[in-house]
Amino acid sequence: MSRKNLKRYFEILEIDSGASLSEIRNAYIRLKRLYSTDSIVITPIADEFSKKRRLAVLQQIEEAYTKLNEELKDEHQKSTYFGKPGIASENVSEGEEGDSVSFSGDVLRQIREKRGIHLYEVALDTKIRVEILENIEHERFDALPQEVYLKGHVSNYARYLLLDPRKVADDYISRYKAWKADVKDKT
Amino acid sequence: MVEKEGKIWAIGGGKGGTGKSFVTSAMGTYIAGKGKRVILIDIDIGGANLHSFFGISRPKKSLTDFFEAGASLNKLAVKTGIDNMSLITGDIHSLASDNIKFTQKLKLFRHIMKLNKHYVIIDLGAGSHNNTIDTFLMADKKIVILEPEITSVENMYHFIKNALFRKLRMSLREYGFKDIVEQMWERREEYNIKSLRELMDCIRDNFSYVGDIIDKELSDFKLYLILNKIRSSDDILIGSSMKSILMKYLGVDTKFVGFVEYDDSVWRSMRERRPFMLNYSLSRSAKEVEVFTENLLKGKEIKLSRN
Ligand SMILES: Nc1ncnc2c1ncn2[C@@H]1O[C@H](COP(=O)(O)OP(=O)(O)OP(=O)(O)O)[C@@H](O)[C@H]1O
Ligand SMILES: [Mg+2]
Repeated sequence: MSRKNLKRYFEILEIDSGASLSEIRNAYIRLKRLYSTDSIVITPIADEFSKKRRLAVLQQIEEAYTKLNEELKDEHQKSTYFGKPGIASENVSEGEEGDSVSFSGDVLRQIREKRGIHLYEVALDTKIRVEILENIEHERFDALPQEVYLKGHVSNYARYLLLDPRKVADDYISRYKAWKADVKDKT
Repeated sequence: MVEKEGKIWAIGGGKGGTGKSFVTSAMGTYIAGKGKRVILIDIDIGGANLHSFFGISRPKKSLTDFFEAGASLNKLAVKTGIDNMSLITGDIHSLASDNIKFTQKLKLFRHIMKLNKHYVIIDLGAGSHNNTIDTFLMADKKIVILEPEITSVENMYHFIKNALFRKLRMSLREYGFKDIVEQMWERREEYNIKSLRELMDCIRDNFSYVGDIIDKELSDFKLYLILNKIRSSDDILIGSSMKSILMKYLGVDTKFVGFVEYDDSVWRSMRERRPFMLNYSLSRSAKEVEVFTENLLKGKEIKLSRN
């Protein structure tokens, strides 16, 4: 993406062009809410600032957010998963190549923290309770919901972190299964 | 020509009672306290009362003496009781509707610009009268005060649209496009124009060469927004929202410089006839005044930390 486009997208989201992923996300959520709901700043000009116009604004916001995410996600993955130093690579459990990262709860936590995102922000957007998110990160498997639900939660969380939801969920669930088998053996 | 240094500030915003005079007095006191020279000008058509924020009585001389007797502005300035800061008062007679001619107004602006060794802070009062708007447009920093309340928002839109309309009209005239705005506006039925935004879009569509002028005027028309009398931290969002809409709907660049919470000490200090910033200098609201005044001085926006 050209720098000019990039700059324009940041402008649309009304943030500095050095903004972090979580700032981008917050701006997106705030603006989306502003232009899609009635409020005391919209009502007085609602008849001239029509639904149609607002829809156009919302589309711009959506586009800016999607494009920025794509751009930054690429950057992020290049530097984190396929490059040398990265949070995930330290946690590679097996395999020589960088792309065989196993997404454990701890890796998810580190990625989240590196991006400066709080759990409550994740909760707000994914509608997953903070407790559950915490349990996912700490792999408190016994406190987590059933596998089908868990898989859904983990994919949503991964999507929020701009990671591949399938890969993350598969990795995570295989760890969960291993734990379950372990518990079964013991009893 | 006197060079503009960004020292002439005008405070408006439309609705009465939002705190324009309070903000003017508090901001002035803070700047004067930094050792800078400040002149406050009260041109509130509806009733000048800036003096009461300093516990002084209404000045005997007013801008009427400037218009009718040719008194210099310096002679009209009275002491506020605060070092480095004086006050000039307008009054209803000299400033209401047609009593003041356009040439006189220009003369006043010229003289105000000559005060540029000082920070000149002009309290415009409520309303969107032409004299009010023209003074607003003349200022280097155009500051609007908003209360988190629907009537205040409504009046502010009205005020800003009026100011922008007037500015576009005047500058297109200067560029030789005489009456283009009026003509379009008169034929608004035909062009299906219902708002200022549609008017601007329509002029752009029909006269592509004028589009650049509109863009330039829009980029010169910068606003500074202060939110007053907030009652919870949620209210702060209204400032950012307003800023967003002004840009995304009207194309007006607005800096949201800060807010002041609702604080009983504001009227209490008026009753005690003591300037708020001295009387309650340690209060949170006084700190909030300092923050947005610093932002105004530096042309910066408020830093909103999350949650
Ligand atoms: N932050 C605040 N907290 C509490 N009271 C305030 C605050 N700001 C202003 N006020 C009070 O609100 C009233 C109106 O304030 P002020 O006179 O500054 O408004 P104004 O915009 O200048 O009004 P007008 O349009 O009539 O000139 C005053 O009584 C003032 O004491
Ligand atoms: Mg006033």
